Amino acid sequence: MRFILRRLGFYLIAFWASITLNFMLPRFMPGDPVSRMFARSQDRMQPEQIEALRKLLGVDDRPMWEQYIDYMHNIFTGQMGVSISRFPTPVTEVISSQIGWTLLLGGTALVIAAVVGNLLGILAAWRRGGAIDSALPPVLVFIGSFPYFWLAMGALYLFGVVLGWFPIRHAFTDGLEPAFTWEFIGDVGAHLVLPALTIVLVSIGGWMLGMRNTMIATNSEDYITMAEAKGLRPGRIMLRYAARNAMLPSVTSFGMGLGFVVGGALLTEVVFAYPGVGYQLLNAVQGLDYPLMQGLFLTITAAVLLANFLVDILYVRLDPRVRSN
Amino acid sequence: MTQPRYFRAARMTAASLAVGAMLLTGCTANVAKTGTSDAGANASAFLTIPREDMGTFVQNFNPFAPTVNPMVQQSIYESLLIFNPAKGDTVPWLATEWKAAEDGKSVTFTLRDGVKWSDGQPFVADDVAYTFELQKKIKGGFEYLDTVTAEGNKVTFTFNKPWSPALYDVGQLSILPKHIWSALPDPEKDANAKPVGTGPYTEVDTFQAQSFVLKKNPNYWQPGKQKIAGIKMLAFAGNDGANLAAANGDVDWAPQYIPNIEKTFVSKDKEHRQYWFPATGAMINWQLNTTKAPFNDVDVRKALSMAVDRDQVTKIGMSGYAKPADCTGLSGNYETWKNAAVKDNCTWTNHDVQKANELLDKAGYPKGADGKRTFKDGKPFEFKISVGATSSDWLSVANVIAQNLAEVGVTAKVESPDWAAVVAGYETGDFDSGIVWSANDPSPYKYFNTSMGTATVKPVGTKTFDNYHRFGDTKADALLSDFAAEADESKQKDIANKLQEEYNDVAPLVPLFSGPEWGAFNDTRFTGWPTEDNPYATLSVRSPTTVLVLTTLEPRK
Repeated sequence: MRFILRRLGFYLIAFWASITLNFMLPRFMPGDPVSRMFARSQDRMQPEQIEALRKLLGVDDRPMWEQYIDYMHNIFTGQMGVSISRFPTPVTEVISSQIGWTLLLGGTALVIAAVVGNLLGILAAWRRGGAIDSALPPVLVFIGSFPYFWLAMGALYLFGVVLGWFPIRHAFTDGLEPAFTWEFIGDVGAHLVLPALTIVLVSIGGWMLGMRNTMIATNSEDYITMAEAKGLRPGRIMLRYAARNAMLPSVTSFGMGLGFVVGGALLTEVVFAYPGVGYQLLNAVQGLDYPLMQGLFLTITAAVLLANFLVDILYVRLDPRVRSN
Repeated sequence: MTQPRYFRAARMTAASLAVGAMLLTGCTANVAKTGTSDAGANASAFLTIPREDMGTFVQNFNPFAPTVNPMVQQSIYESLLIFNPAKGDTVPWLATEWKAAEDGKSVTFTLRDGVKWSDGQPFVADDVAYTFELQKKIKGGFEYLDTVTAEGNKVTFTFNKPWSPALYDVGQLSILPKHIWSALPDPEKDANAKPVGTGPYTEVDTFQAQSFVLKKNPNYWQPGKQKIAGIKMLAFAGNDGANLAAANGDVDWAPQYIPNIEKTFVSKDKEHRQYWFPATGAMINWQLNTTKAPFNDVDVRKALSMAVDRDQVTKIGMSGYAKPADCTGLSGNYETWKNAAVKDNCTWTNHDVQKANELLDKAGYPKGADGKRTFKDGKPFEFKISVGATSSDWLSVANVIAQNLAEVGVTAKVESPDWAAVVAGYETGDFDSGIVWSANDPSPYKYFNTSMGTATVKPVGTKTFDNYHRFGDTKADALLSDFAAEADESKQKDIANKLQEEYNDVAPLVPLFSGPEWGAFNDTRFTGWPTEDNPYATLSVRSPTTVLVLTTLEPRK
């Protein structure tokens, strides 16, 4: 319990530091949202409208500390303001209408990559020098080192355009009404295949190698030799004795990965025109949309910290050494 | 001991995912492809248009939103008149005629009879007056506008000075229904989720973050021209996705920039696919900060301009889609305004390395033994060209210019941070030079006012939103105020001719090329598109002429 409380205290400080950074960073960027918008609209916006727009959007010249107090107050009362690039839509509405798709895409890809990658890693380490161990890692590392954009475009072109197996854009067929019917769920699933598959392809190698390497270290431990000497079934030794102990780094990575899912797979969303928050974040940064940027960063920060905290709690259960400290 | 729970869960997840994946692959066989040429299907099909710079849509149809949803000002709300830059003509729309007062201090529009809002209420003169009141309150601008009075079916705009550029300014503003907007407590912040307009397609249907449909306005004033069942907008997080959709034949209209369009788009279906890039966009300039030496010297500006090979700039930088500028500085949007004498006897926008060298020698920037020129204080003749990092076409334009300049011994470095940083430099005057757009209006007044009118010049350090190069010319000022006060177009043209002569003398900036208005279409399902031979509109989906296309297209039979 004391361990958990100590960690909780640490996370609270980390949270404060990150929201303070979140406040400061966009304000250090050159330019302001209104002139950015003006530049983007090029000749379509009148210069006289800029002052009015500035007032309308609440881009203020108040001293930093006043803005900071306001900002903190808003965060703890859940008011994230109005998005500038999607004015006058509230930030919470922009995020909430899209984050579900991001979670679905990122979550599915993360779970598949972690589960399959870890299983492959376990098998590779167990049959060291076998077929899986010698063939798969180089292939997966090779695929994983492709620039993601290129890989996604390639998959999109091959499986979407040339072969026509999978839809090439959006989260479901345009015009379909979202509903809990098999037709709609199947449609969503079909649209999920290519984007999720490409993320899995580039990330699975990392999971596999990481698991394989810790497994190999674990396999040389005395208790494994002991278990073998006792004549236990190899499958039982592999999963219960070796893999369980080698899992710890993977659990950490999974927790981290879970947190980062919230931020969205930006490139995936751009390539597949997937309606998630990743592309929105890029847009917010480009448009100097402070409120939206801050809302998104806040969501991501909170998710990462929360996931890490959960991993910490899980560690207490998985690793007796943490408890004794 | 039992098996650890997390492990069992993981195994079950893996198993169910594998089953799921198999189900999914089975499901995809029936994903339908659009693009049939069946007459019955075409009649009920939606005109599909991609939007390449909005990854997702929010149900917000407020025209005061800075990044307004597509089609709000094209298909939902309409304006009094429409200026078509492709042909240079003006189409009466919600107003049937207009008349400027003799003294240039007012203009009166006569409204069309029988126009209704999509909720069935009649469109009245009071709606127009109210729209301007609201526009001035929320967005500002229209400083010249004193009063707007509605009387019967006539609306009179009175100005506080003779101001002829007003006609297109007020004429092209989207008119809103007073009975809806005056009831809103906070009009600028209202999402206007169910808009009421006079346009051809106003009824929002199946709204989702990735796409939405606009269906027919049941009370449209030209019901015979609503030949399409509706408009479907698709959201794309960038040009690539939108281009893929266009190449794949999934959209009917492709208004975004498509590189190598002949090969990537047209060649896939030569019979149905066409593109047309009229030079009606803004003039794209290389703007030199004239508050700095040596850019304050007209000879230097002209010499640098002569060093630029505009054929190379448009061919390499703009893939051959843009038209090189001439000495009038006017883009293809102002073809009818151009002074033929200035255009024909053009010197300083033609590529002439020898002349450029002579001018620079004469201005006192000698070439050293190493072939490089120096400033008067002996430092090397070096400066920066700033362009936003995301504008890949303009970046290659800047690189071509830098290479061209090297031929006359001048070193230019291309600097490409984010647009926000670039524009911040332009606004405060803290830059050497940059590739910049210019004002683009039906009349050339604003172009000349923002390129050489002293009224638009702000001192360095003070923010400005036009005339970034900070050049002012008192001779141009006199001509500009004459122009603004003149209501007669033929007399305006005489003044515009003099403005071009003055522009030719002082070379306030270095014009590069007329920006093309991108546009391509696929007529498999709908016919009647504007083309070079029938330029009743451009192929833009964001300009006032878009509604002309929407009311002309019809399903292929």
